[in-house]
Formats: sequence, structure tokens, C-alpha cells
Amino acid sequence: MPSFENTWLPFIYLYGVGGLFFVSGLIIIRKSKAINMEKKRHRYWWKVSLFGFFYFMAIHALLILSALYL
Amino acid sequence: MHHSLGSSTDWIVMIVYFIAIMLFGSYFSKYNRTTTDFFFGGRRFKWWLIAMSIVATGVGSHSFIKYSAKGFEAGLSSTMTYMNDWFFVPFFIFGWLPIIVYTKIRSIPEYFEKRFSPSTRFLATILLLLYMIGYVGIGFLTMGKAILPLLPPEFSIFGMQFQITLMGLVIVIALIVGIYITYGGQTAVIFTDIVQGFILIFAGMLVFFLGLDYIGGFGLFWNALPTTWKLPLANFNNPPGFNFVGIFWQDGIAGSVGFLFMNMGLVMRFMATKSVDEGRKAATFNILFVLPISAIVVGNAGWIGKAISVLHPDVVPPSTDPDSIFVVVANIISLPGVFGFVMAALTAALMSTVDTLLNATAAIYINDVHRPAKKWLSKKVKSWKEEDRQELNAARIATVIFTIMGVLAVIPFESFPTVYEAHGYFHSTLTPPLVVAIFLGVFWKKFTNAAVVATFIVGVALMILGMYYPRPLIEVFAHGTEYDPQHPYTYIGALYNLFVCVFVGVLTTVTRNQQKKLTDWIKTTPNHKSLMSAITFISGGIFVIILFNLASLPVLMLLAAIMLVLIVISSNYYSKYSEKTHTDGLTVWSLAKAKEMFKGSKVNDRDGEIIKVNWKLKESTDDLMYFSKNDMAKMAADPGDLVYICDARKILGGLKSVHSTYGKPHDEDGIVYITQEHIDQGQFVKDKVLTAEKEM
Repeated sequence: MPSFENTWLPFIYLYGVGGLFFVSGLIIIRKSKAINMEKKRHRYWWKVSLFGFFYFMAIHALLILSALYL
Repeated sequence: MHHSLGSSTDWIVMIVYFIAIMLFGSYFSKYNRTTTDFFFGGRRFKWWLIAMSIVATGVGSHSFIKYSAKGFEAGLSSTMTYMNDWFFVPFFIFGWLPIIVYTKIRSIPEYFEKRFSPSTRFLATILLLLYMIGYVGIGFLTMGKAILPLLPPEFSIFGMQFQITLMGLVIVIALIVGIYITYGGQTAVIFTDIVQGFILIFAGMLVFFLGLDYIGGFGLFWNALPTTWKLPLANFNNPPGFNFVGIFWQDGIAGSVGFLFMNMGLVMRFMATKSVDEGRKAATFNILFVLPISAIVVGNAGWIGKAISVLHPDVVPPSTDPDSIFVVVANIISLPGVFGFVMAALTAALMSTVDTLLNATAAIYINDVHRPAKKWLSKKVKSWKEEDRQELNAARIATVIFTIMGVLAVIPFESFPTVYEAHGYFHSTLTPPLVVAIFLGVFWKKFTNAAVVATFIVGVALMILGMYYPRPLIEVFAHGTEYDPQHPYTYIGALYNLFVCVFVGVLTTVTRNQQKKLTDWIKTTPNHKSLMSAITFISGGIFVIILFNLASLPVLMLLAAIMLVLIVISSNYYSKYSEKTHTDGLTVWSLAKAKEMFKGSKVNDRDGEIIKVNWKLKESTDDLMYFSKNDMAKMAADPGDLVYICDARKILGGLKSVHSTYGKPHDEDGIVYITQEHIDQGQFVKDKVLTAEKEM
């Protein structure tokens, strides 16, 4: 069985540190009013942004689980 | 080293493919009416067309060769760099993308002039040209490594023997690429890239399925791979040649921001979309769906090669050169002709990448070197058409020169064990100063002109020190990555480089009030002009001492600190910078203003319909289009608003379209009056229906 450094540590680091950048991006575009949540189209892009983060997280998690147990 | 792979059938297929692609591209060169069309494709395309055209650029730039090599060495973790770009998407789609469109900048250095000063534009141009030329060099090196295994080790003409070397091959490739791009332009590149994008994905998947078939099915393939080969992320910090943490900082952070924010080739594609929203669609679709598929497309030959080397080490020896694994595997699993097709798709995609980069480099040259230099040197006013023709010629000459420089850039990259490492090192070294400057410039309105100059000069000086003294400077940031004396901290060096650039930029910005007091005081001294000349001269001297490593590390660090102070004083003294005028409409904090400046009047945000109209010619030289009152009401448009009309045939993806402004309405519903210039620009066909929509 590969070590923690081979499996979940990179995953945690990727979505932990990468997540910090991602969340700061969301905060900045909200605070600067670059995204206007009163507009339907902007609400759509907000959802797409969040979806993308969890989409890639799920893909990586599934691939790690497949490598370990399939 | 493998040689003479493939058969004569493969060569015929490759040559036919190349001729067909070049003819296809040259057909679209008729859409280059101006330099704007040549470089940007006229801001008219639909998102799907741009998304597809990015496939070949993205896949080509990241290349079958380097990812197959890493796939063969490390397994599925070769996909890492294709699936770590999402973190900066909010910054891009709601920050940088609207800014580059609404400010109407034609190049990234131009943004620096608007946001900071002409001197930062000059520094940004140097750094960006170095970055682009380096990227072209990586493209040439990859193409050379892809084609070399297909050729014999030597050939003879008139009894004379010639050895085929990598550099010789790169020169021949550069000649072909240079000729093509010089006569194509952005529209030709976009359209050849669309075709190649589809073919590339097909070819990559073909290799995967043929490989699985060769091995005996997915089950055998999966079971043949060791568990560590199946993991999607590399080991955290080892080996030095391929580890997660280094690649995260080099590619996931510096690379992602570099790719989205400063890769002019890509930025120009997004600028070719008809609106910001279409650009958002193209970018997100590309990152969410195309990049993961591309990760399989480019890396699978390495995984297949690894599985074959486990099951049949006599067919693919484990000692096979990783950079030639793609060609070796494709040759083993394909029939004659199919191999030629796969190789043609691969090399043509690489050509697309290099084409795009060369086109973008020429755009930077025209905007940031040619035009400012001409403005400075010549006072003679030429007609618009004459000026444009001259610029188009200058762009073509510049492309040839940058092609030659790209070939020269191959020399240092050749010393790395694989293309992947060469690209990684190049990215971690050249992107940080520009990435930090663009990023802080766009998202932090307090970021000053002095701070960006300091980032470019002192940040680069500290990066040079990191190259000379990786221990202890980069070691502190290495996350336990082993020190490789030959290529020290290839990837994690990016974290050190980012850190020093951010540190210099932030420190300079937060001390701006103290700097102002100091500069004001200097201006009151009697000999301030001579004093400032001395300060500038000393700064240059210190940079040279650091560049050539002429002292010990502590002394050099002290000199770097002194240089920071001197550079900051100089830039505050010589440049006029005001936060108010240099941030209005130029940062994420004033996007509404940027939109208003783009339009030239108050923005009309009311939601309207997209309508269908027939066009009629109006003899006029004004850039106005005239719709009926009812049609204007449907579009929720007023005279003076911006309008976009397009051939209604969806398959054209906006190729036949044009932007303009609404004129005073008439009473003929379903009719739009347009000028001859609009017809020529949009290449509209008589009796073909158009769609019209309000832009803002």
C-alpha cells in the first residue's frame, strides 16, 4: 500500500492551499462587485465556479480510491 | 535512440495531412483585412469555436511527448497539470477577462502602461518577449524530439553523408512553421486549430484504444500497472525530477496564472470571442471538460508503454528513452498509415502551438515595440490603410526573427533530461515576476508603479540569487524536496521566485507614504537631479554585480536590499503615478467604469432579445446600423448602444459578423441598414438572414 505522502497528502495540500487561492478569488470578486448577484447570468457563473472546484476534487478523490482499492 | 520508425505509407499520410491543413488555413487568410483581424480575429467568434480552437493550442503546448514521457516514468500522475487550473478561474472570468476586453488593450504590456507607466510597459515587454520566445523554443524542441525517431540517423545527397541532428531538424521545422504563420494570421490559426483539435483528440484516443487492444483489454492494462502508477497525484516531495509539491507551485500556481493571465496566445483567443460572456463560456468549458480529456489524450501512450514494458519487456524495454515513448508506442500498436496519421496529428498540433505563440509574439512586437518606436521617431502622418499595410509587413518580419530566436532558445533546454523538466524549469523561472505584477495590479488597487518596477528588477535580482545559491535560499521553501546538484529545485524554485516577487511588491506598496515623503524631500535638495542620476547609476551597477555573482551571498543580499531602496526612490522620482487615474477602469474594483469607458457612454444593461433581420445597403461612412423602432424595442436598445450582427447560420460560429453602434430607428421591421464597410468586414452574403443583439 502506498504511503500517505503518495496518496492523500498531495490531495489535501492541493485542495487546501489551492482552495485558499480559490476562496480568496471568490471573496475578491464579490467584494469588488465584479460579480453582481442580482444578475441572473452572474449567479449562474457563481454556481459554475463552485461546481468546478468540487468537480475536480471529486475526480481526484475517485481516482485515488480506484488506484488503492480497484 | 530509435530511428527510421514508420513506413513509406506513414510518410505519405503525413505529407498529405500537412498539405491539407495548410491549404485549409490559407483559405481563411482572406478574413485578415486589418492588423486587428490578423492578430485578434476581429472579436467576433462564438464560445464553442474558440473552445475548440484552444484544444490544439493547449494540448500542443503541453504536448504528447512530455506527458507521455512522465506517464511512462510515473503513471497517471502525468495528468496533474491538466487538472489544477480551476483555482484561478474566478479571478480570470470576473477579473482579467473583462479588463482585457473592456480596456481594449492589444497586449499585456499595454495594460502595464495604462495601469502604471511607460517604463513598466518597457520592462514587461522584455520579460514577456523572453517568456514567449522560450515557449516557442520548448515547442521546437518537442517537435524535434517527436520527429527525430522517424528519420534515419543519416542520409546522403550526391555522395555526401549528412547526419540528422536534433538542432538541424529543429531548423527545418522552424522554416516550415515560419512560412505558414507569416501568411496565415489569427483567423487562419483559429480555424486550422479547430480541425486539429478534433483530430488530435481522435488520434490520442485512437492510440489509447489501440493500446488497450494490443495489451488485451482494460483489465490487463489496469492490473499490469503498479499501484503508485495508478495514482492521479505524484509523491508529495520526491523524486526531485517529478514531485507533487514542486509541480503544484510551478504549474498549479505560477503556471495556471501564467496560462490564463499572461499567455498572449491564449489571451488573444479569448479576445477573439464576441463578448465577455462568450469568453467565460469558452474558458470554463475548456478547463472543465477539454483539459481532463486532453490529459488522457496526451499521457496515455506513456501508461500503455509502461503496461507493455511490464507485460512484454522485450517489446518496450523499461530503459526506453521517455521522450521517445509516444512515438515508440504509437509505432508498435498501429498499422502502417495509422501511425503516419497519429504522427501527423501530433506534429500538426505542435505546429499550432508554435504558430499561436509566434502570432502572439509578433502582436506584442507591433504594439509594444514597433508602434511606440515609430511614434517617437517619425512625425510624418500616414493614411490609416498605408500604416496598417506597413504594420502587417513589420509583423511578418518580426515573426521570422522570433522564429530564429525560438530556435536558439532550444540550445539551453536541450540539456534537461526530458522536455517536461525543461518546460518546468522555464515556467518556474520566467513567469513569477510577470504573474505577480499582473495579479497584484489587477486585484490590488493600492499596488503602485514603484512596486511593479521593484518587482521586475529587484524580484528578478533575488531570483538570480536563488539560481546561484539554491542552498540555502530555495531550500527553505523546498518542502523537503531532495537537492539535485545538476538541476536544483527545478519545480519548487517557483515558490521561492513567487515569494520574493510578492515580498518585494507588497513591501514597496505598504511603505508608499514613507517613500513619498522621502521623494518630496529629495526634490527640495539643491542637486537632486545629479543625486538621482547617481542613484540610477548605482542601482544598475548593483544589478550587474548580482547578475554576475561578483560577491558572497550575504553581501549580495545586502546589495539587493540597497538596490530595492534606490529603485523605489528612482521610480517615484521619475514617474508620475496617481492611484486615482491609474486604477480607474483598470482593476477589478472598477469594472463598471471599465465597461462604461469601453462603450463611451452609460451602459444599457436591460435584457433584450436576439432578433433575426435581413440587411440592406446604406451609402454612408458612419459606423452605425439602423434598425426599426419595434426591433430596437425587442432588443431593449437605444441609439448609441453597441450592437453585434452575425450571419444566422450557427455552423459559422460568428465568422461572418461585425460589431457596430445603433443609429436612429426607422419603420421597416426586420430590416437593418448597414454600410459597405460592415458588409466587407462581416463578409455578409446577399439574402442570408442575420441575427442581431444588443451588446451593452
